[in-house]
Amino acid sequence: MAVRYDNRLDDMPMVPVDCLRCGAAVRVRKSCWSQTSVQWTGTALGRCEERCTLTQLAAHGDRSLFLACSALNGAIDDAVRAGTLPVVDGVCSD
Amino acid sequence: MTAQSETDDVRLIEAGSVPTRFARGWHCLGLIRDFADGKPHQINAFGQKLVVFSGEDGTISVLDGYCRHMGGDLSQGTVKGNEIACPFHDWRWGGDGRCKLVPYAKRTPRLARTAAWPTLQQDGMLFVWNDPEHKEPPQDVTIPRIEGATSDNWTDWHWYTTVVHTNCREIIDNVVDMAHFFYIHGSMPTHFKNIFEGHVATQYMKSAGRPDLSDPEEGVTILGTTSLAAYHGPSFMVDELTYHYEDFDQRTVLINCHYPIDENSFVLQYGIVVEKNPSMPDELAVETAVALGDFVKMGFEQDVEIWRSKTRIDNPLLVEEDGPVYQLRRWYEQFYVDVADVASDMVDRFEFELDTTRPREAWMKEVEANVAARAAMSDSMR
Repeated sequence: MAVRYDNRLDDMPMVPVDCLRCGAAVRVRKSCWSQTSVQWTGTALGRCEERCTLTQLAAHGDRSLFLACSALNGAIDDAVRAGTLPVVDGVCSD
Repeated sequence: MTAQSETDDVRLIEAGSVPTRFARGWHCLGLIRDFADGKPHQINAFGQKLVVFSGEDGTISVLDGYCRHMGGDLSQGTVKGNEIACPFHDWRWGGDGRCKLVPYAKRTPRLARTAAWPTLQQDGMLFVWNDPEHKEPPQDVTIPRIEGATSDNWTDWHWYTTVVHTNCREIIDNVVDMAHFFYIHGSMPTHFKNIFEGHVATQYMKSAGRPDLSDPEEGVTILGTTSLAAYHGPSFMVDELTYHYEDFDQRTVLINCHYPIDENSFVLQYGIVVEKNPSMPDELAVETAVALGDFVKMGFEQDVEIWRSKTRIDNPLLVEEDGPVYQLRRWYEQFYVDVADVASDMVDRFEFELDTTRPREAWMKEVEANVAARAAMSDSMR
């Protein structure tokens, strides 16, 4: 069961983005302003402060789901504004 | 005559072959209450025949279905004490897979073992651990507890079982398939997010109502739903599904799980518990669970209708408004390789959030057209 290649990555591959708070290095792809893919690594996840906080809370029975890191989201937005993270459809709705 | 350049442009569907091994992980076989009758139960799973039986002590065991003596079918046998007795020569097998007694023999072959499957009984459900490498389940690969399943404030399980004749990867694809919820299931996704990490694949979805599908004669209108659904391993999904009404929120938990019979068919099961509250007293909660069960049943029948005629496709052609099908399948692959071969890209965290703006614009036009057509129809019938 070979896993094939996503045709959408031909138009726009994932590009590296570093979190400005913890330095976690992830890969990101933006289809439009409000559609984002984030590929983490184990190392990056280990650095993420918000994730580590939630893991500590989980040890005390809090089962909240880690949806996203707000600091990383900020870094992704900054990367778009700086032009280092291209957006597939620049005119997509905000 | 066909020009070469034209034939080059035809995109070919790649289907490969279905995997010949079965996924490693916990698989729910059904409700404990359906196995706890002191009789042996035959389960066809993972390309084999299994026997499930509960002993006098209440322990439920799962063994390979065939007696190691002369191949008798243990599921046709009898439970005697805490052992299953073969219908052929009354050989007794314990839940640990060991031969316990051969009544007509001087000596029992106590070292002889048949295959015994690790089991888990939790929240009213029976699970077996399938592992082609025959290792014990790791401590950190668990099925989460379901609060409503053991609480008096929730209904009992309403449980459904059916057989689907396709490879079980089709049902997994639903985790990421945002658009099919509109076209196949008549919902209107407004938020859609996926997170894959470790052995868990999550889908977060909010949906609005479909005024073109709702019956105007019905009193209460559902404003929308919020669903947090996660596969814990290859086959067991817990969906915390909340219905939003004008006056209150109705919490439900929907289980969507399956086990493969063989590579071309699987047993699909789904179960529902509904929270009781002031707006939802006992009787109404049970009715809601039944009604929701019927609704979910209809949803799966809609899926099955598509699966019946579609082809397997390993290289789906995707647009930006589709979900992360390839990443999901990469996550799913971890259950089909040896533990030593699980690559980091199969288990590393992946997040995806879909912008539903464009799909919703298109779908609202369809909905408005349907509402207008319905109004015109009812006018003409006056």
